[in-house]
Amino acid sequence: MINDILSSKFYLVLKNGECIDSHLPDRVFYQDGLLKFENQELLEVQVVYILETQQEFQIDIRIAKHCQIQMIETKILAKDAVLHKNMYLDENAQVHIFSENQSDNSRSIENVYLAGYALCQYGFAELSDHHFEGVYHYYLDGEGADVKVRMAILSKQDEDKHYEVLIQHNRPHTYGQMDNYGVVKDQGRLIIDGIGTITKGQHGSASHQTNKIMVFDSSCVAGANPYLYIDDFDVKASHAAGVGKMDEEHLYYLQSRGLSKKQAMHLITYGYLKPVVEVIDNEMLKDRFEKALSKVGA
Amino acid sequence: MSTLKIENLHVKVGEKEILRGIDLEIKTGEIHAIMGPNGNGKSTLLSAIMGHPKYIVTDGSITLDGQDVLSMGVDERARAGLFLGMQYPQEIPGVTNSDFLKAAMNARREEPISLFKFIRTLDKNIEELDMDENLAHRYLNEGFSGGEKKRNEILQMKLLQPKFALLDEIDSGLDVDALRVVSEAINSMRSDDFGCVMVSHYERLFELVVPTHVHVLVQGQIVMSGGYEVIEKIDHEGYEWVRELGIEIHQEEEKQPILLESCGKKEQLKHDK
Repeated sequence: MINDILSSKFYLVLKNGECIDSHLPDRVFYQDGLLKFENQELLEVQVVYILETQQEFQIDIRIAKHCQIQMIETKILAKDAVLHKNMYLDENAQVHIFSENQSDNSRSIENVYLAGYALCQYGFAELSDHHFEGVYHYYLDGEGADVKVRMAILSKQDEDKHYEVLIQHNRPHTYGQMDNYGVVKDQGRLIIDGIGTITKGQHGSASHQTNKIMVFDSSCVAGANPYLYIDDFDVKASHAAGVGKMDEEHLYYLQSRGLSKKQAMHLITYGYLKPVVEVIDNEMLKDRFEKALSKVGA
Repeated sequence: MSTLKIENLHVKVGEKEILRGIDLEIKTGEIHAIMGPNGNGKSTLLSAIMGHPKYIVTDGSITLDGQDVLSMGVDERARAGLFLGMQYPQEIPGVTNSDFLKAAMNARREEPISLFKFIRTLDKNIEELDMDENLAHRYLNEGFSGGEKKRNEILQMKLLQPKFALLDEIDSGLDVDALRVVSEAINSMRSDDFGCVMVSHYERLFELVVPTHVHVLVQGQIVMSGGYEVIEKIDHEGYEWVRELGIEIHQEEEKQPILLESCGKKEQLKHDK
C-alpha cells in the first residue's frame, strides 16, 4: 500500500512512532519524533503517518530560515488513534503542503507556528471513509507571516466529521485566509468551525474566511460556523458561510450543453473541491485526488 | 434538412401565462429574428424550447424532425441538436472552461475526442473569436466581462455545431468590435445544416447577421411575421404601430427597490429567480 502512496523522490514513512522507511535529502533529518529541514533548496518531500492501533503519536517539524518545502503528507490513523503535530516555520520559510487522509475513526491535532515573513499554504483533502476530527491551528507569530488554508471535505454514509480551523494573528501585518469547502451526502454529518482571531495591537493584519457546504440529501447534517474575534481597529476581516444544495441554474447551464445530470453534478462537485490540489504543482497528486473524488459518486 | 416546429405553445411561469399560442417553424438554412418589447415572452420562448424547469408548457407542442422535444430532458434536447446562447450565462467556480468544453463535446460523440484534436479545435476557435488565450484554464465564466461571456457562448456554439441555435440577446454587452467578431462567427455557421433563432432589440445585429424571417412577439403571441422590412419599421417607429393591430402593449418593467452601488440588472434577476 505504501508503494501506491509514495510518488516523490524523497520520503519518510513513520509507523507507530518508528521510522520504517526513508530517503531524505541532505540537511533534512529525522530522529525521535523530530523532523528538521535545514536545506534551502526547493524540495519535495513526502511524509506518511501510520498509526495501526489505538495510540497517540507526536511529531515536531522544524523548518529553518529561507527553506522552501513542498510537502505531501498522508495520514493513515487507526480507530481511536491521535496524531499530534507541531510545525515551526522560521523566518522567511516557505511551505506548501498537501495533506490527504485515509484514516479510520480518529483525530489529528495540529499546530503550525509562523515566524516573520514565513509563508504557509496548506491544502487538506479530507476524503476518508470514517468519522474524523481535525483540529488545525495556525499562529502568526512574526510580522508579515502569511497562511492560506484550503480544505476539501467529504462526509458520506453515516460519517461524522468535525473540523476546527483557527488562524490567530499575534503580530502586526499578518495575513490569514481559510477556504473550507465540504460536500455531505447520504446520512453524513459535517461541522466546520472557522475561527479568525486578531489580538490587540496587530494593526495592518487581514483575516478572511469562507466556509461552504454543499448538501446532496435531505438526511444530511451540516454546519458551517464562522467566528471572527477582532481586537484591533486597523485590520481587514471578512467571513462567508453557507450550507445549501447544488445551484439548479448551474446544473441547467451544463445540461443545456448536453451533459447528463450526473455528469453535470460530478463536474460541479469536482470544481468545488478541486482547488485544494492547486497548493502543489504535482500532476500525480492531481490524478490521485481525481480518483479519490470518485467517492463523491455525483 | 431539419425542422424545428412549434405549434400553439402556451407557457407559464408560476401562475402567470407568458406565451399564449406561439406557432413557428424554423428550417435549417434559415435565420429567424424575434423582436418585441421587454417582458413579452421572447426569452421565455427560447428557454421553454431548451427546457428550463422554471417554464411550464401548458399546451402545444415542440418537435424536432418529428421528435417530441417536450418529452426530452434538457441534456437530451442539447444532444438532439438544440443550443441556447444565454442572455446571462452562469458563472461556475472551480470548473475550467477546458474541462467543461471537453465534456460538452464528448456528450454528443460516441468516441471521446482526442486531447490533441480538442486543443487544436479550441485554440483555432479562440483565435477566431479574438478571445483570451488563457480562456481554457479559467473557470467557466467566472470573472468574465459581459462581452467575454457572450463570446464564450458563441465559442460553445461553434464547438458543439448544433442543428439549431437559439441566441438570446447575444449582442448585449458587446462593443462594436466584439459585435463584428460575434456576427462573423454566426455567419460562418450559416449553412443548409444550421438554423438559428435570434432575439435582439437592436437593428445593428440584424444588419450584420441578416435574418431570412422576422417575427414580432407581443403579449405572448407572434403578431407579425415578415422580412427585413419589419426590423426597419421597428427601428424607425418603435412598437406603437402594434396598437393599430388592436393589440395592447404591456411593458413588463416591474419596479424593484435597488440600493445605491448595486447592479440594477442583477437585482432584477435575483427577483426573477
